[in-house]
Amino acid sequence: MPLDLSCALIQIQNVSKIFKTQAGDFTALKDINLCFGQGEYVSIIGKSGSGKSTLINMITGIDHPTIGEVRVAEHDVHHMNESQLAEWRGRNLGIVFQFFQLLPMLSILENTILPMDFCNQYPPAERESRARALLDLVGLGVEAEKLPAALSGGQQQLAAIARALANDPPLIVADEPTGNLDSRSAARILDLFDELVVQGKTIIIVTHDSSLAKRTARRVLISDGMLIDENIAHALPMLSHPQMLRLSHLAVARSFQPGATLAKHDNGKVGLFVVAQGHVEAVRHYRSGESELVERLGPGAYFSELELEQDERSTLSFRSAAEESVEALWVSHEAFYHFLGESHAAESALRQAAGERFGHVHRPAQPRKSFWWRR
Amino acid sequence: MRPRWRKVFSDLWGNKLRSLLVIASITIGLFAVGMITSMYVILTEDMRASYASVNPANITISTIGFDDDLLDRIRKVEGVAQADGIRQVVLQVQNGSGEWIPVEVNAIRDLENMEINQVHPEQGQWPPDERQVVVDGYKFADLEAPVGSTLLFELPSGTRREMPLVGLVHDQTIGASQEGGGYFLAPVQGYVTLDTLPWLEQPELMNRLLVTVDQNQNDLEYIKQVAERVADEVENAGLPVFTSFVRGSEDHPNSTYVEAIASVLFLLGLLVMFLSAFLITNTLSALLGQQVNQIGIMKTIGARRGQIVGIYLLLILVFSMIAFLVAVPLASRVAYLLLEVLGGQINVVLQGYRLVPLAVLLMFFIALLAPQLAGIYPILHGTRVSVVEALSGISAQKPSGKKGWVDTHLQTLRGVSRPMLISLRNTFRRKGRLALTLITLTLAGAIFIATFNVQGSLNKYIARIGKYFLADVNMSLASYERISEIRQTLLEVPGVGDVEAWAFSLGELVMPDGSNGEAVTLLAPPAETRLVDPLVQEGRWIEPGDENAITLNERFREIFPDLQVGDTLTINILGDEVDFQVVGFFQMAGRSSGYLAYTSYEYLAELLGQENKANAYRVTANRPNLTLEEQKALGQRIETHLENQGYSVVETSAGQSLTETTTDGLNILTGFLLIMASLIAVVGSIGLTGTLSMNVLERTREIGIMRSIGANNRTLRNLVMVEGVLIGIISWFLGTLLAFPISILLSNAINFSLFGATVAFTFTPNGIFIWLVTVLILSVLASVLPARNSARLTIREVLAYE
Repeated sequence: MPLDLSCALIQIQNVSKIFKTQAGDFTALKDINLCFGQGEYVSIIGKSGSGKSTLINMITGIDHPTIGEVRVAEHDVHHMNESQLAEWRGRNLGIVFQFFQLLPMLSILENTILPMDFCNQYPPAERESRARALLDLVGLGVEAEKLPAALSGGQQQLAAIARALANDPPLIVADEPTGNLDSRSAARILDLFDELVVQGKTIIIVTHDSSLAKRTARRVLISDGMLIDENIAHALPMLSHPQMLRLSHLAVARSFQPGATLAKHDNGKVGLFVVAQGHVEAVRHYRSGESELVERLGPGAYFSELELEQDERSTLSFRSAAEESVEALWVSHEAFYHFLGESHAAESALRQAAGERFGHVHRPAQPRKSFWWRR
Repeated sequence: MRPRWRKVFSDLWGNKLRSLLVIASITIGLFAVGMITSMYVILTEDMRASYASVNPANITISTIGFDDDLLDRIRKVEGVAQADGIRQVVLQVQNGSGEWIPVEVNAIRDLENMEINQVHPEQGQWPPDERQVVVDGYKFADLEAPVGSTLLFELPSGTRREMPLVGLVHDQTIGASQEGGGYFLAPVQGYVTLDTLPWLEQPELMNRLLVTVDQNQNDLEYIKQVAERVADEVENAGLPVFTSFVRGSEDHPNSTYVEAIASVLFLLGLLVMFLSAFLITNTLSALLGQQVNQIGIMKTIGARRGQIVGIYLLLILVFSMIAFLVAVPLASRVAYLLLEVLGGQINVVLQGYRLVPLAVLLMFFIALLAPQLAGIYPILHGTRVSVVEALSGISAQKPSGKKGWVDTHLQTLRGVSRPMLISLRNTFRRKGRLALTLITLTLAGAIFIATFNVQGSLNKYIARIGKYFLADVNMSLASYERISEIRQTLLEVPGVGDVEAWAFSLGELVMPDGSNGEAVTLLAPPAETRLVDPLVQEGRWIEPGDENAITLNERFREIFPDLQVGDTLTINILGDEVDFQVVGFFQMAGRSSGYLAYTSYEYLAELLGQENKANAYRVTANRPNLTLEEQKALGQRIETHLENQGYSVVETSAGQSLTETTTDGLNILTGFLLIMASLIAVVGSIGLTGTLSMNVLERTREIGIMRSIGANNRTLRNLVMVEGVLIGIISWFLGTLLAFPISILLSNAINFSLFGATVAFTFTPNGIFIWLVTVLILSVLASVLPARNSARLTIREVLAYE
């Protein structure tokens, strides 16, 4: 998918990262194109070894891409030297690590003051009061003088967040922030993130936990160093990540004019459509000749020729809404059936989903609930 | 306090062992520099001050008996401030073991109001009354008799007299009127009143003129001018000038040894500082290695490299200042402690403990600069780490997992257990750190071993000097006797093999301008003598048939740099100027000996008017390789037999006593060398402790895994101990190799400063074996704490270690 350069804050263009190992070259990221806007609340989800931490290191400047460019807040991150990068990071970025990474010999108050100290962001006289205010914000005001080892894991992570906010950066990046915490502490951390988003921060969380990812407004999936199309991920959550990734590679982008027909029953070999932009109307045509608008499918919804197959008493057709054009990802019939043939699990999941949809569609007098709408 | 500076103090306090290691590394270098500087400054200052405080003679002239009339005349000579006289005579005294040993009796004109060459009373009565004696503390132990006891003296006539020993004094002018090793070779010094002399069968006349000059008391040229005038006055009074000796008022007789000791100690001090720098680098590398994760964290929160470098430079500065505060009093106290030992051995009175500003300043600047310089590479290297490496702990630069040369070859070893192989592999894992540790230990070992070799070469040189004194017994009579008679008499003594008669005289060099120069000792053995094995450097030795031929020791070239074989040298002997032809130069004891010359017996005897007569005899035993005790016994028998025959014996001495006395003096130097070597060994073992500790810390995860698969405490401890001992053994091997060139350098430096000559290298295996035992002990000790720490780690701790 071409990069939308209207994403003002973070732009990742054609980034690949190759590690040289004894066993040969290992490509951790393959041609990543991604962008994030100001104020977004994003989770980057992937299994262990998927490349999500490597991706986040590209954004934070902790590591550099082998190919490609990364721009964060209009800065070419990988063109800066280490010192410039450190200073830029201190002012523009707050990083929260899975293992907290607090300096063990300093109190959490001193840990919080330290970024201000390095970046000279605030006058020295203000730093302590600001640090205390941040610790109050995260609920650790009373513990300010304690060393990290005297606090629980959750408290240490909260302290790490306070430190990350020390220089009031616009962007917070958290790498598995709850990976080392119990569920109660984790919930508290996520509540805090919610508050920060409301305050206008851009937050990117890296996680393997899909339940955590549900808290975020946008989810980016990564598998084997490649991005899964977000619309496909949203539309087909029943598939595994490798399956989603496969479909992402098979899909091609197509545009449809307002009112155009995307698929109809008598053209059953339509493959798979995932709506990326605009709305698609699902219309049921009865044998009596009547037609009924069954559903409006928005971005992140899908339909396939499996839904067309299921209905025998009536037929379905899908058209773009009259008032707007539609951008969709389309997997051709051949590719779709090849995909189904590769994975019986995927075929079963999709057929099951299609069967459930068909059942709802048989009660035309009743209000239709959206079966495909996931938002 | 800003958090980044707070981190500095937290780092210092948080890991006390590590901080202690760094501070110890710096302290040891500062200590060495401070100790040596303090010793040198205090010793030279106090040597000058204490010697000057006794108002030492600038001019000492030996002549035949004189009285106050001569003194009155001398006091009127231009340039003379004070003049006084003593009578010096060598007698024999029986010590507590029944041995007869020489004693140089000084009869002083006015003991209560000594003006020149003052002595300092230390114990008992001062001044002694008539027929009482006081002795100097140096060699008092040879008497084996306490103050208050009665000493038995034997006079030249054979008469024996008892005198009570009533007190002890300290005389700093012993050896002042002789060159080189006069102090160490001097016999027991006794002090009596002038009116005791008749009772000792001596004339109540003085034979040593002591003069101080009125100004420029340290200007040798001025003093020599005054000495010329004084000598002329003595001669005008009808008295011969046997010897004339000049010395500055602050020129302590043993200052030569101080210079020699100082040069060596300075060299070793630099070496310790150099090693300390290695140690600091090693320890700081390990410290920075432990801080990699924190460096990464700081970089993620905005710290620039320069800021991080500043943090660690401040940390080093704090370490340095702590080390400075520890080293200053320590160095100062130890220096004074050692000086109190040394001072007594080289006849210096210390003026009291004090801090030496130069030493403190030097230590301050070195503390400021040296650790920073030593640490700058580890800091720059450690802070260069990328954030991803620092946080992940994995180097992204080199692929890991490839077996190196060591690992590959270790695998081929058979019969070695797996844990032992792990130890062997671990030793070579961090090659940079191993190299730094080995450098320190190796140098320590090399110097330690070299110390023994240096001692060997010094002893060899002294033994070489002994080649000029090959007789078993050296004997002198009170008067010249017929050689044939004495020879016949001596051959009757059991154990005597052969007898040689030598002629002996003192003289003075006659300078080109006609003035009298340095005193010269002339020895004249028979031409066919077997009791001198000279080291001829140029020309030849005296041969049968030579008349006015003379061979000179190396000192003469100091006065006459252009003197060559074939040139003429004029010497004043008993008032007569005699021309000698130089036929050769020989090497003896350098600046430790005086101006020594050999000529033929026949020629000198004729000059002295004593043909076929002699008062000096050299006796060899009828079997070789007598011990010192056997020589002394033979000498005793000779003396007894001669006295029974009516001859008056002035002195008998064993041939080896000269070399033994010189060896004792040089033991001071080798003692210092051993102290420095031990210091260096401590540096090395600190380095080893640090290395092993860091190795254990870095392998925490590995240790946890080994624990989880069955390694018990003993196995873990053995892993570390074996590693430590292996490093020690490798350093021993390398140190042994390095000891050879270092021994040569040290030997030459010491010998040159003492004797003005280098020596052939001497190898003694003692040092190698002693160092092997020492380094094994040090290695085990250095391993104990890290080994114990490794065994204390639990699985939970180490696998959660991050």
